[in-house]
Amino acid sequence: MTLWNILLDTLTQGSIYFLIAVGLTMVYGILKILHIAHAAVYTVGAGVGLAVFRLTGNFWAALAAAMVVSGAVGVLIYRGVYFYMLDQPRIVPLITSVGLFLLMQDLLQKPYLMGPYQHAFPAQDVFPSLTLPWGTVPSAQVMILVFTALTLGVLYGVFTRTRLGLAWQAAAMDRDMAGAVGVNLNRAIALNFLLGSALAGAAGVLVGVFYNSVYATMGDVPSYKAFVVIVLGGMGSVSGTVAASFLLALAETVLLSSVGYVLPRDAIAFLVLILVLMFRPQGLLGR
Amino acid sequence: MTDNRQPLLTVDHLVVTYGHIQALHGVSLQVAAGEAVAILGANGAGKSTLIRALVGWVIPAAGRVVYAGRDITHAPSWERTRLGLAVVPEGGRVFRDLSVEENLRLGAYLETNPARVAERMDYVYRLFPVLKERRRQIARTLSGGEQQMLAIGRAVMRGPQLLLVDEVSMGLAPLLVDAVFDALQQLKEEGVALLIVEQNAYETLRVVDRGYVLENGRIVLAGTASELRENPRVQMAYLGGG
Ligand SMILES: Nc1ncnc2c1ncn2[C@@H]1O[C@H](COP(=O)(O)OP(=O)(O)OP(=O)(O)O)[C@@H](O)[C@H]1O
Ligand SMILES: [Mg+2]
Repeated sequence: MTLWNILLDTLTQGSIYFLIAVGLTMVYGILKILHIAHAAVYTVGAGVGLAVFRLTGNFWAALAAAMVVSGAVGVLIYRGVYFYMLDQPRIVPLITSVGLFLLMQDLLQKPYLMGPYQHAFPAQDVFPSLTLPWGTVPSAQVMILVFTALTLGVLYGVFTRTRLGLAWQAAAMDRDMAGAVGVNLNRAIALNFLLGSALAGAAGVLVGVFYNSVYATMGDVPSYKAFVVIVLGGMGSVSGTVAASFLLALAETVLLSSVGYVLPRDAIAFLVLILVLMFRPQGLLGR
Repeated sequence: MTDNRQPLLTVDHLVVTYGHIQALHGVSLQVAAGEAVAILGANGAGKSTLIRALVGWVIPAAGRVVYAGRDITHAPSWERTRLGLAVVPEGGRVFRDLSVEENLRLGAYLETNPARVAERMDYVYRLFPVLKERRRQIARTLSGGEQQMLAIGRAVMRGPQLLLVDEVSMGLAPLLVDAVFDALQQLKEEGVALLIVEQNAYETLRVVDRGYVLENGRIVLAGTASELRENPRVQMAYLGGG
């Protein structure tokens, strides 16, 4: 594998991890809930995106619809389920979330939704491929990298420059106190779910296009992989999630290209997780 | 003292329970606009529980809290803050990973006029000049006393009508205790009503107009500051013997 390929794979895979995991991180930051059902929201995004793409042939409409519907599903999960468990021991929403994930995924496998098949998502030529002196970036990867770069910029701006971002940070440190300085927690948390879930929905579409495949159980691997990322990132830290996404992707890509014949990708991810937890239980960037 | 002023806060037979433990057994009290009132009580008397119920962090099992004529017994804390309440909670609870200035900005979260925010920040910096020197410092790296000042500053940023203060002097050096009570005194002179929860009765009775003594979740004594200072029971329990 050339250096260029390692770099490109790392950036692509890291971007995907980040887009999926950042919503989990945001939810964990404020509610301290391990929101496993987030992976089903990602699948919903892929499914909605594909349906709209088939109807309209327009990738942008598909992406927008996926983000809107996923965002709405995320808010619904918060207001309809977690909202009633905020004062319960954390094991209650955790178990609920596992149940919710399995329930949603089972539903998605019904023939009237996604069925038990893989569906092609033929939107690979929306972006031009990019030829640089060192090599070529295929169009699906251009799309993922551009979207991730934009998302990073927007998130950074929202978290550091806006009132809402400051409120999210405060709520992640001390939720009750944030309420007492005047943050409407119901609204702030709903918006937190809205944004995180919309990004997961977008990730579903991008991954679906990248692998040209969308299916009801595509959330399986992300459901636990995203946890590797948020644990490595230090639980609830958005910047830690960025770092962990790309570091994990780098470790996977490098190890895969050297010892890939013994260790498959997901085994590598969990090996990294276990090693890090043995020596830095607070995560790579956690204090 | 109360007669000629509007009652700002009325607490009426408030009952708060934690599971099987009953922390408040029907507490009633009043604070008038601009008035400073103390709640004295030993460890575990229920002082912080009372503050939590006023802020909206615990929901009472019975009784009512009325603020400026509105029943806020079940209102979420941000609505109470909108009505003019602010709190300096037990231990300060500053936002640990944010800077001093960001903490103060959050105190003024509901104030959308930037000029007024800047004005209040100036005021806080005059009250506690050390906060100005450290305005870019992350709150968790402040000393305990500085964090208490920041917690007061954050509450002042709201521009409150009624400030709830829970054991702000705890763990502070005597000189800092003086500075903190001077600041409370100044707020009072500017018309802010205060409800001060304290074990440090000596300093508290210097600032307040009236006070209540809370024991095992019940008000057992009420009176003006001077009445309480003269009371043998208060002297025994809270003024170091008498
Ligand atoms: N979260 C809780 N769960 C169970 N019991 C509690 C809880 N918080 C307080 N209590 C109990 O309620 C009673 C009153 O506690 P509270 O914190 O109001 O006392 P306090 O007067 O503020 O004491 P201190 O001076 O030590 O701060 C105590 O008996 C305490 O053990
Ligand atoms: Mg207390």
